[in-house]
Amino acid sequence: MRSKKTLLALGFFLILGVMSLVGSEVNASSPQLKITPELKEKFTLKPHHEKLSFKCVDCHEGQGDDPENFKAIDDKGCLSCHKTKQYLADRLKFMDNLHTNPHNSIHDGPKLYCDECHFEHKKSDNMCLSCHSNDVKLWMRPTP
Amino acid sequence: MIKKIFLIIKNNMLLTVLVGVLVGLLSSWILYEGLHRTSDDKFCVVCHEMKPMVAAYHNDVHGGAGKIGIKVTCVTCHLPHDNVFAYIATKARNGAVEGAIHFFGNVDAIDWQANRANRAHFVKDEACVGCHTNYKTNEAISEQGRKMHAHYDSLKDTAKEISCASCHVEVGHKGLRSMLNYYKPEYEYYKGKLDKKKEEAEKKLAEELKK
Repeated sequence: MRSKKTLLALGFFLILGVMSLVGSEVNASSPQLKITPELKEKFTLKPHHEKLSFKCVDCHEGQGDDPENFKAIDDKGCLSCHKTKQYLADRLKFMDNLHTNPHNSIHDGPKLYCDECHFEHKKSDNMCLSCHSNDVKLWMRPTP
Repeated sequence: MIKKIFLIIKNNMLLTVLVGVLVGLLSSWILYEGLHRTSDDKFCVVCHEMKPMVAAYHNDVHGGAGKIGIKVTCVTCHLPHDNVFAYIATKARNGAVEGAIHFFGNVDAIDWQANRANRAHFVKDEACVGCHTNYKTNEAISEQGRKMHAHYDSLKDTAKEISCASCHVEVGHKGLRSMLNYYKPEYEYYKGKLDKKKEEAEKKLAEELKK
């Protein structure tokens, strides 16, 4: 009788164990996407990100495993690593003295969308240039 | 002569052991005090060209600006901790090199902004992990943060290894880029226009170092 109970308990825990394993596998499933040289060329990374050996899905989380179908991540995605817009503005505080801080401009404050200027897979585009075409190159370096 | 010394030692074993222990303890104490007293911002800044770095450090949680006021010293993060001999050797070498630069080098030619790119070399990961022991599991770290820490771990001991400071760019020195700009603007346009900020920073730094 006792051995039957033990067996039952053992079976119960075995099933529970297997279930938890299956569960964790589902949770951890990030598509195994192989980064080929062609893919790397098509979707180049900015050097500061390239250096960190990111995988596609580190940013394009939950977007499947076909890079062609990946969507641009929004501010929330960028800020999941880069903290907050205020934090980014504060990092360029020295520019505030001359009102040239692109992350805290007198027009928009720290409120612009990241992708008004920054693009990961193509050349970034400094929005300040659309009006201050001559000055921007004195105020800051090319937008990373 | 040597034979004579051996004979003395042999006849006075207890005394020899006692003297040996005393000499050992004394030299350990001198070494400890020596290392300890030459490890903080107040000492390092005497020779090391690092005023803006110290000023930014005082604004950081690692420099005592946190709620609790905990402060780690320069050597906590900037010297290797994997073995004590490497620690002492690096400390001695840095001391000699920094002293030489301070007294004989061309300090104005140092490009501090460019040096920031070498931060992974200047910040020792084992030091970070020495305090931040639960960086992989700490629930106070965002989910993305923990994911990235797992990524860091997966690259460890590979050719693509990254370091804590690869991502944590101003760690230990809050607002370092700005502070460096107050001392030496990185763009021509700002030259001479941030001097007031530098003065403010210098004043605060002098007060902090007096504490």
